[in-house]
Amino acid sequence: MAQIMKVRPTKIELVRLKRRLKLSSRVQKIVKDRLSILTMEFLQAARDTVKAKQHAIDAMNQAYKAMTIASGYHGYVALQKELVACEADITVAAGPRSVAGVRLPSLELNEPTGGLRGYNLTQTSSLVDSASDTSREALRAIIELAELQRGLELLGTEINRTKRITNALEYILIPSLQATIRFLAMKFEERDREEKARLKRVKALLAAKEA
Amino acid sequence: MIHQDDAQSRYERFLETYLSGELKLVNAGLPRARKSLADLLQEDQPSVLCSDGSQQLIKRAELRYLQGLLDEDEQRMLMLPILIEMTGSGNDAIVLCPTEAEAKVVAEVLGMTPRQEEPGRVRVYRPQLSVLRRKLRTTTQYAFSVRALE
Repeated sequence: MAQIMKVRPTKIELVRLKRRLKLSSRVQKIVKDRLSILTMEFLQAARDTVKAKQHAIDAMNQAYKAMTIASGYHGYVALQKELVACEADITVAAGPRSVAGVRLPSLELNEPTGGLRGYNLTQTSSLVDSASDTSREALRAIIELAELQRGLELLGTEINRTKRITNALEYILIPSLQATIRFLAMKFEERDREEKARLKRVKALLAAKEA
Repeated sequence: MIHQDDAQSRYERFLETYLSGELKLVNAGLPRARKSLADLLQEDQPSVLCSDGSQQLIKRAELRYLQGLLDEDEQRMLMLPILIEMTGSGNDAIVLCPTEAEAKVVAEVLGMTPRQEEPGRVRVYRPQLSVLRRKLRTTTQYAFSVRALE
Protein backbone atom coordinates (compact mmCIF):
# COMPACT_ATOMS: atom_id res chain seq x y z
CA MET A 1 0.00 0.00 0.00
CA ALA A 2 1.26 3.42 -0.97
CA GLN A 3 2.51 5.60 1.86
CA ILE A 4 0.69 8.87 2.50
CA MET A 5 3.03 11.86 2.67
CA LYS A 6 3.17 14.11 5.70
CA VAL A 7 1.68 17.32 4.35
CA ARG A 8 -0.52 20.13 5.70
CA PRO A 9 -4.15 19.49 4.74
CA THR A 10 -4.70 22.71 2.79
CA LYS A 11 -6.08 23.39 -0.67
CA ILE A 12 -2.83 24.99 -1.78
CA GLU A 13 -1.04 21.79 -0.79
CA LEU A 14 -3.48 19.77 -2.90
CA VAL A 15 -2.78 21.98 -5.91
CA ARG A 16 0.95 21.54 -5.33
CA LEU A 17 0.64 17.78 -5.08
CA LYS A 18 -1.38 17.62 -8.28
CA ARG A 19 1.27 19.67 -10.05
CA ARG A 20 3.95 17.38 -8.67
CA LEU A 21 2.04 14.30 -9.86
CA LYS A 22 1.75 15.72 -13.37
CA LEU A 23 5.47 16.43 -13.43
CA SER A 24 6.33 12.98 -12.09
CA SER A 25 4.12 11.35 -14.73
CA ARG A 26 5.95 13.25 -17.45
CA VAL A 27 9.31 12.16 -16.07
CA GLN A 28 8.04 8.58 -15.88
CA LYS A 29 6.87 8.67 -19.50
CA ILE A 30 10.21 9.84 -20.80
CA VAL A 31 12.17 7.38 -18.64
CA LYS A 32 9.93 4.51 -19.76
CA ASP A 33 10.33 5.48 -23.40
CA ARG A 34 14.07 5.60 -22.92
CA LEU A 35 14.08 2.22 -21.22
CA SER A 36 12.14 0.60 -24.06
CA ILE A 37 14.57 2.07 -26.61
CA LEU A 38 17.59 0.91 -24.61
CA THR A 39 16.12 -2.58 -24.26
CA MET A 40 15.45 -2.78 -27.98
CA GLU A 41 19.00 -1.64 -28.75
CA PHE A 42 20.40 -4.08 -26.18
CA LEU A 43 18.58 -7.06 -27.70
CA GLN A 44 19.68 -5.99 -31.16
CA ALA A 45 23.27 -5.60 -29.96
CA ALA A 46 23.14 -9.02 -28.29
CA ARG A 47 21.97 -10.68 -31.50
CA ASP A 48 24.59 -8.80 -33.54
CA THR A 49 27.33 -9.70 -31.04
CA VAL A 50 26.59 -13.41 -31.38
CA LYS A 51 26.76 -13.12 -35.17
CA ALA A 52 29.88 -10.93 -35.06
CA LYS A 53 31.62 -13.36 -32.72
CA GLN A 54 30.92 -16.29 -35.04
CA HIS A 55 32.02 -14.19 -38.01
CA ALA A 56 35.26 -13.22 -36.25
CA ILE A 57 36.05 -16.85 -35.41
CA ASP A 58 35.36 -17.95 -38.99
CA ALA A 59 37.37 -15.07 -40.45
CA MET A 60 40.35 -15.83 -38.21
CA ASN A 61 40.17 -19.50 -39.10
CA GLN A 62 40.20 -18.67 -42.79
CA ALA A 63 43.02 -16.15 -42.36
CA TYR A 64 45.13 -18.65 -40.44
CA LYS A 65 44.52 -21.36 -43.05
CA ALA A 66 45.31 -19.00 -45.94
CA MET A 67 48.50 -17.84 -44.23
CA THR A 68 49.58 -21.44 -43.54
CA ILE A 69 49.04 -22.42 -47.18
CA ALA A 70 50.89 -19.31 -48.41
CA SER A 71 53.84 -19.93 -46.10
CA GLY A 72 53.89 -23.59 -47.14
CA TYR A 73 54.02 -22.62 -50.79
CA HIS A 74 56.56 -19.79 -50.57
CA GLY A 75 58.46 -20.86 -47.52
CA TYR A 76 58.25 -19.09 -44.20
CA VAL A 77 61.42 -17.03 -44.63
CA ALA A 78 60.60 -15.87 -48.14
CA LEU A 79 57.09 -14.92 -47.12
CA GLN A 80 58.32 -13.02 -44.10
CA LYS A 81 60.82 -11.15 -46.29
CA GLU A 82 57.99 -10.05 -48.58
CA LEU A 83 55.62 -9.13 -45.82
CA VAL A 84 58.12 -7.17 -43.71
CA ALA A 85 58.22 -4.50 -46.40
CA CYS A 86 54.46 -3.95 -46.36
CA GLU A 87 54.03 -3.68 -42.60
CA ALA A 88 51.85 -0.71 -41.80
CA ASP A 89 50.18 0.67 -38.71
CA ILE A 90 46.52 -0.10 -38.43
CA THR A 91 44.43 3.01 -38.03
CA VAL A 92 40.96 2.79 -36.60
CA ALA A 93 38.53 5.70 -36.70
CA ALA A 94 36.98 5.88 -33.27
CA GLY A 95 34.34 8.15 -31.86
CA PRO A 96 31.26 8.09 -29.70
CA ARG A 97 27.70 7.58 -30.88
CA SER A 98 24.81 8.40 -28.65
CA VAL A 99 21.81 6.09 -28.25
CA ALA A 100 19.12 7.71 -26.10
CA GLY A 101 21.77 9.39 -23.97
CA VAL A 102 24.19 6.47 -23.75
CA ARG A 103 27.54 7.11 -25.37
CA LEU A 104 28.59 3.97 -27.20
CA PRO A 105 31.87 3.51 -29.04
CA SER A 106 31.89 3.56 -32.80
CA LEU A 107 34.91 1.97 -34.47
CA GLU A 108 35.79 1.64 -38.12
CA LEU A 109 38.94 0.31 -39.74
CA ASN A 110 40.51 2.86 -42.05
CA GLU A 111 41.03 1.12 -45.37
CA PRO A 112 44.24 1.95 -47.24
CA THR A 113 43.60 4.02 -50.35
CA GLY A 114 44.93 3.19 -53.79
CA GLY A 115 44.49 -0.56 -53.49
CA LEU A 116 48.26 -1.26 -53.26
CA ARG A 117 49.18 -4.25 -51.15
CA GLY A 118 52.76 -3.26 -50.43
CA TYR A 119 54.48 -6.48 -51.43
CA ASN A 120 55.91 -7.50 -54.78
CA LEU A 121 53.06 -8.87 -56.87
CA THR A 122 55.35 -10.41 -59.49
CA GLN A 123 57.25 -12.57 -57.00
CA THR A 124 54.32 -13.76 -54.93
CA SER A 125 51.39 -15.97 -55.77
CA SER A 126 47.66 -15.41 -55.41
CA LEU A 127 47.90 -17.38 -52.16
CA VAL A 128 49.52 -14.35 -50.50
CA ASP A 129 46.74 -12.12 -51.89
CA SER A 130 44.18 -14.48 -50.41
CA ALA A 131 46.00 -14.49 -47.05
CA SER A 132 46.10 -10.69 -47.11
CA ASP A 133 42.38 -10.40 -47.92
CA THR A 134 41.27 -12.89 -45.28
CA SER A 135 43.54 -11.27 -42.66
CA ARG A 136 42.02 -7.88 -43.37
CA GLU A 137 38.55 -9.39 -43.10
CA ALA A 138 39.50 -10.94 -39.73
CA LEU A 139 40.72 -7.54 -38.54
CA ARG A 140 37.47 -5.92 -39.63
CA ALA A 141 35.49 -8.62 -37.80
CA ILE A 142 37.52 -8.15 -34.59
CA ILE A 143 36.94 -4.40 -34.64
CA GLU A 144 33.21 -4.87 -35.19
CA LEU A 145 33.07 -7.37 -32.34
CA ALA A 146 34.94 -5.00 -30.00
CA GLU A 147 32.49 -2.21 -30.77
CA LEU A 148 29.45 -4.40 -30.23
CA GLN A 149 30.68 -6.01 -27.01
CA ARG A 150 31.57 -2.70 -25.36
CA GLY A 151 28.25 -1.26 -26.50
CA LEU A 152 26.44 -4.23 -25.01
CA GLU A 153 28.13 -3.70 -21.61
CA LEU A 154 27.34 0.01 -21.55
CA LEU A 155 23.73 -0.54 -22.59
CA GLY A 156 23.30 -3.19 -19.88
CA THR A 157 24.57 -0.85 -17.17
CA GLU A 158 22.34 1.98 -18.34
CA ILE A 159 19.29 -0.30 -18.53
CA ASN A 160 19.82 -1.29 -14.89
CA ARG A 161 20.06 2.36 -13.81
CA THR A 162 17.02 3.41 -15.81
CA LYS A 163 15.01 0.44 -14.54
CA ARG A 164 15.67 1.50 -10.93
CA ILE A 165 14.44 5.01 -11.69
CA THR A 166 11.34 3.71 -13.48
CA ASN A 167 10.51 1.37 -10.60
CA ALA A 168 10.98 4.13 -8.02
CA LEU A 169 8.63 6.37 -9.96
CA GLU A 170 6.10 3.67 -10.77
CA TYR A 171 5.90 1.88 -7.44
CA ILE A 172 6.85 4.50 -4.84
CA LEU A 173 6.66 8.13 -5.85
CA ILE A 174 3.57 8.23 -8.08
CA PRO A 175 1.39 5.89 -5.91
CA SER A 176 2.41 7.90 -2.84
CA LEU A 177 1.42 11.17 -4.52
CA GLN A 178 -1.85 9.67 -5.72
CA ALA A 179 -2.64 8.31 -2.25
CA THR A 180 -1.89 11.68 -0.63
CA ILE A 181 -4.08 13.52 -3.16
CA ARG A 182 -6.90 11.03 -2.52
CA PHE A 183 -6.44 11.43 1.24
CA LEU A 184 -6.55 15.23 1.04
CA ALA A 185 -9.58 15.19 -1.27
CA MET A 186 -11.43 12.92 1.19
CA LYS A 187 -10.41 15.14 4.08
CA PHE A 188 -11.83 18.22 2.33
CA GLU A 189 -15.06 16.39 1.51
CA GLU A 190 -15.31 15.36 5.17
CA ARG A 191 -14.70 18.96 6.21
CA ASP A 192 -17.47 20.13 3.85
CA ARG A 193 -19.87 17.58 5.28
CA GLU A 194 -18.99 18.65 8.83
CA GLU A 195 -19.55 22.28 7.86
CA LYS A 196 -22.92 21.45 6.36
CA ALA A 197 -23.97 19.49 9.45
CA ARG A 198 -22.83 22.36 11.68
CA LEU A 199 -24.83 24.88 9.66
CA LYS A 200 -27.91 22.66 9.83
CA ARG A 201 -27.51 22.36 13.59
CA VAL A 202 -27.10 26.15 13.98
CA LYS A 203 -30.14 26.70 11.74
CA ALA A 204 -32.17 24.28 13.87
CA LEU A 205 -31.05 26.00 17.08
CA LEU A 206 -31.93 29.42 15.69
CA ALA A 207 -35.33 28.13 14.56
CA ALA A 208 -35.94 26.66 18.05
CA LYS A 209 -34.93 29.97 19.66
CA GLU A 210 -37.30 31.96 17.45
CA ALA A 211 -40.15 29.56 18.15
CA MET B 1 6.11 26.15 8.11
CA ILE B 2 8.80 28.01 6.26
CA HIS B 3 10.95 24.88 6.37
CA GLN B 4 8.18 22.72 4.93
CA ASP B 5 7.50 25.18 2.09
CA ASP B 6 11.18 25.35 1.37
CA ALA B 7 11.45 21.55 1.31
CA GLN B 8 8.51 21.29 -1.07
CA SER B 9 9.81 23.87 -3.48
CA ARG B 10 13.18 22.11 -3.33
CA TYR B 11 11.43 18.85 -4.20
CA GLU B 12 9.65 20.44 -7.15
CA ARG B 13 12.86 22.05 -8.28
CA PHE B 14 14.55 18.65 -8.10
CA LEU B 15 11.82 17.08 -10.27
CA GLU B 16 11.99 19.97 -12.76
CA THR B 17 15.76 19.71 -12.90
CA TYR B 18 15.56 15.95 -13.30
CA LEU B 19 13.06 16.26 -16.16
CA SER B 20 15.10 18.85 -18.01
CA GLY B 21 18.30 16.90 -17.25
CA GLU B 22 16.76 13.70 -18.60
CA LEU B 23 15.57 15.51 -21.74
CA LYS B 24 19.05 16.99 -22.17
CA LEU B 25 20.65 13.59 -21.64
CA VAL B 26 18.46 11.68 -24.07
CA ASN B 27 18.83 14.41 -26.68
CA ALA B 28 22.59 14.80 -26.20
CA GLY B 29 23.22 12.99 -29.48
CA LEU B 30 21.08 15.33 -31.57
CA PRO B 31 23.09 17.16 -34.21
CA ARG B 32 23.65 20.91 -33.96
CA ALA B 33 23.69 21.09 -37.75
CA ARG B 34 22.98 18.27 -40.12
CA LYS B 35 25.10 17.57 -43.16
CA SER B 36 24.10 16.29 -46.56
CA LEU B 37 25.12 12.82 -47.70
CA ALA B 38 27.07 14.35 -50.58
CA ASP B 39 29.08 16.52 -48.15
CA LEU B 40 29.75 13.66 -45.76
CA LEU B 41 31.02 11.47 -48.59
CA GLN B 42 33.66 14.13 -49.32
CA GLU B 43 34.95 14.18 -45.73
CA ASP B 44 38.01 12.17 -44.64
CA GLN B 45 36.44 11.38 -41.29
CA PRO B 46 32.67 11.82 -41.68
CA SER B 47 31.17 13.19 -38.48
CA VAL B 48 28.55 15.62 -37.20
CA LEU B 49 28.70 17.95 -34.21
CA CYS B 50 26.21 16.99 -31.48
CA SER B 51 24.28 19.26 -29.14
CA ASP B 52 26.54 18.29 -26.20
CA GLY B 53 29.60 19.39 -28.16
CA SER B 54 30.84 15.91 -29.04
CA GLN B 55 31.50 14.65 -32.55
CA GLN B 56 29.44 11.70 -33.72
CA LEU B 57 31.35 9.50 -36.11
CA ILE B 58 29.41 8.35 -39.16
CA LYS B 59 30.44 5.06 -40.67
CA ARG B 60 31.64 5.08 -44.24
CA ALA B 61 30.00 1.71 -44.89
CA GLU B 62 26.59 3.23 -44.08
CA LEU B 63 27.29 6.25 -46.27
CA ARG B 64 28.23 3.99 -49.14
CA TYR B 65 25.05 1.98 -48.58
CA LEU B 66 22.96 5.16 -48.73
CA GLN B 67 24.89 6.33 -51.77
CA GLY B 68 23.83 3.15 -53.52
CA LEU B 69 20.16 3.85 -52.80
CA LEU B 70 20.00 7.45 -54.01
CA ASP B 71 20.84 9.40 -57.14
CA GLU B 72 23.09 12.47 -57.05
CA ASP B 73 20.32 15.03 -56.50
CA GLU B 74 18.89 12.98 -53.67
CA GLN B 75 22.36 12.61 -52.14
CA ARG B 76 22.54 16.39 -51.94
CA MET B 77 19.01 16.55 -50.46
CA LEU B 78 19.43 13.85 -47.81
CA MET B 79 20.43 15.43 -44.51
CA LEU B 80 22.13 13.18 -41.97
CA PRO B 81 21.59 11.91 -39.36
CA ILE B 82 17.94 11.08 -40.05
CA LEU B 83 15.90 11.95 -36.95
CA ILE B 84 13.52 9.48 -35.35
CA GLU B 85 11.05 11.19 -33.01
CA MET B 86 9.74 9.09 -30.15
CA THR B 87 6.00 9.45 -29.73
CA GLY B 88 5.83 8.40 -26.09
CA SER B 89 3.50 5.48 -26.86
CA GLY B 90 6.34 2.96 -26.80
CA ASN B 91 5.00 1.09 -29.85
CA ASP B 92 5.90 3.38 -32.68
CA ALA B 93 8.03 6.31 -33.72
CA ILE B 94 8.01 9.03 -36.34
CA VAL B 95 10.81 9.37 -38.88
CA LEU B 96 11.17 13.03 -39.80
CA CYS B 97 11.37 13.26 -43.57
CA PRO B 98 11.62 16.89 -44.68
CA THR B 99 12.55 15.79 -48.22
CA GLU B 100 11.66 12.89 -50.49
CA ALA B 101 15.15 11.44 -50.02
CA GLU B 102 14.57 10.48 -46.36
CA ALA B 103 11.24 8.82 -47.20
CA LYS B 104 12.90 6.91 -50.03
CA VAL B 105 15.69 5.68 -47.73
CA VAL B 106 13.16 4.49 -45.14
CA ALA B 107 11.11 2.74 -47.83
CA GLU B 108 14.20 1.07 -49.33
CA VAL B 109 15.59 -0.08 -45.99
CA LEU B 110 12.26 -1.51 -44.83
CA GLY B 111 11.40 -2.92 -48.24
CA MET B 112 7.96 -1.32 -48.12
CA THR B 113 6.38 2.11 -48.11
CA PRO B 114 5.46 2.95 -44.53
CA ARG B 115 2.46 4.99 -43.46
CA GLN B 116 2.85 8.73 -43.93
CA GLU B 117 0.25 10.44 -41.75
CA GLU B 118 1.32 14.02 -42.32
CA PRO B 119 3.68 15.30 -44.98
CA GLY B 120 7.25 14.82 -43.81
CA ARG B 121 6.36 12.47 -40.94
CA VAL B 122 6.60 8.73 -41.56
CA ARG B 123 5.27 6.43 -38.86
CA VAL B 124 7.29 3.27 -38.23
CA TYR B 125 6.42 0.49 -35.79
CA ARG B 126 8.75 -1.18 -33.30
CA PRO B 127 9.93 -4.10 -35.52
CA GLN B 128 10.49 -1.69 -38.42
CA LEU B 129 12.39 0.66 -36.13
CA SER B 130 14.63 -2.21 -35.14
CA VAL B 131 15.41 -2.98 -38.80
CA LEU B 132 16.03 0.69 -39.57
CA ARG B 133 18.39 1.13 -36.61
CA ARG B 134 20.24 -2.07 -37.40
CA LYS B 135 21.04 -0.98 -40.94
CA LEU B 136 21.59 2.72 -40.19
CA ARG B 137 23.26 2.70 -36.79
CA THR B 138 25.20 5.95 -37.04
CA THR B 139 23.12 7.72 -39.69
CA THR B 140 19.92 7.77 -37.64
CA GLN B 141 19.35 9.43 -34.27
CA TYR B 142 16.56 9.32 -31.68
CA ALA B 143 14.88 12.57 -30.70
CA PHE B 144 12.70 12.86 -27.60
CA SER B 145 10.39 15.85 -27.70
CA VAL B 146 8.33 17.43 -24.94
CA ARG B 147 5.39 17.46 -27.34
CA ALA B 148 5.34 13.67 -27.20
CA LEU B 149 4.93 13.81 -23.44
CA GLU B 150 1.79 15.93 -23.50
